[in-house]
Amino acid sequence: MEKVVDINYFALFSGYALMLIPVLALWYYKTGLVKDTLIATTRMTVQLLLVGLYLEYIFKLNNALINIAWVVLMSVIASYTIIRRSGLKMKLFFIPVLLSGIISIAVTDAYFLGFVIKLDNVFNARYFIPVTGMLLGNTIKNVVIAVDAFYKRIDEEETYYRRHLANGATKKEALLPFMRDALRVAFNPMIATTAIMGLISLPGMMTGQILGGSNPNIAVKYQIMLLITIFSSAVLNVVLTIFFSNRIAFDAFGNLKKGIFRN
Amino acid sequence: MTEISNLTLHFNNEIIFNNFSLKIQRGEKIALTGESGKGKSTLLNLLSGFIPGYEGTISVLGKKLNAETVSDIRKNIAWIAQDTSLAVKTVKALFYEPFEFVLNKPLKPTKNEVAEIFSAFELSENLLSKKTNEISGGQKQRIILASCLLLKKPLLLADEPTSALDENIKRKVTDYIMKKDDLTVIAATHDEYWIRNSDRVIEL
Repeated sequence: MEKVVDINYFALFSGYALMLIPVLALWYYKTGLVKDTLIATTRMTVQLLLVGLYLEYIFKLNNALINIAWVVLMSVIASYTIIRRSGLKMKLFFIPVLLSGIISIAVTDAYFLGFVIKLDNVFNARYFIPVTGMLLGNTIKNVVIAVDAFYKRIDEEETYYRRHLANGATKKEALLPFMRDALRVAFNPMIATTAIMGLISLPGMMTGQILGGSNPNIAVKYQIMLLITIFSSAVLNVVLTIFFSNRIAFDAFGNLKKGIFRN
Repeated sequence: MTEISNLTLHFNNEIIFNNFSLKIQRGEKIALTGESGKGKSTLLNLLSGFIPGYEGTISVLGKKLNAETVSDIRKNIAWIAQDTSLAVKTVKALFYEPFEFVLNKPLKPTKNEVAEIFSAFELSENLLSKKTNEISGGQKQRIILASCLLLKKPLLLADEPTSALDENIKRKVTDYIMKKDDLTVIAATHDEYWIRNSDRVIEL
């Protein structure tokens, strides 16, 4: 097989010249996003370089407890990110979001790694950590969009929610249209992307595997399974997050608490 | 009976109700009047359990309102907000949505019932095939009112139920509701005709 072309550090940093395009466009249209873009890019770089370093050690150690601890840490960071970006209060939503993330990962990881790939040890670092990372990374966006849409719409469309509640709906029935919309908003783009996969887009994981020297056939099979696992995990995560959060977001009379939003 | 005893409510240091009491008999038609901001809508929201932080006691249809009873109370009321711009795309959904709840499913109106109330409210049944953004505010208000009345609940809480209606239709809708002897109606309103035809006017 052809040798993989490495990217030396000079070449890697010269690649950053491409960032001039978004930075100039965001600056020209006065979006106020230039600083955020630069911070995000710097964070991404530092984080990924660090991940490369410590994953090497974690893979060498391959200790189930350390691997689980690592995944829990990733889930904590993911939960923090979700709540920060959704405009909800951290102290109220952290536990429900974390709990939903861990449950959805546990269910889909167990199925994918234990049943589909049939690993002897589902906590094998080489599989458990990257797969869970993919699940978490791809789920964050969906949970942010869904949770944000769900609570903001109930707040904005209070009359509509009240019309249901005060005309005989149970709380679950009154919340159904909002849940339906939150799922639509969060998953419509994902369904569209899934439908054109391979036609006009090659997913990152598969491309990475192929560039890393894997057989394209194996890379494609992994990619298919991962897309299905990500979809399943994201939907489960959204549904559980809203289910658990609803227990703290409403008062005993079924009213949405005004104090759940961060100003 | 619906009863409010010694109600006191503050909003941001502003007193909305101070030791307010009111008794309403079954079948009574009450018009809540007064300038904007005097608490008419707030009183309806209090009776529906949407504003829990108050002093005093509220009993709705003989049940003391609290976290345990609120869902039972809501099962027996029909509620109409002043805002008719609800997030519903079709008129059919706007009209039939309350009948999709498990509690109200057996109450889904027959064709005759729909025809009767549409005729009384001067609504064409063709409206049911339209989108909500294709009909007027007055038509929307009548659709919501008709749907609520067909729920056949003993208590109707209505916030400015005729505000978007023309004078002629306003009278027809008001007469239709006032003739329902068993229905208790508490309405926040500025409508002179509605006020004149109510059993009692409570100025807030």
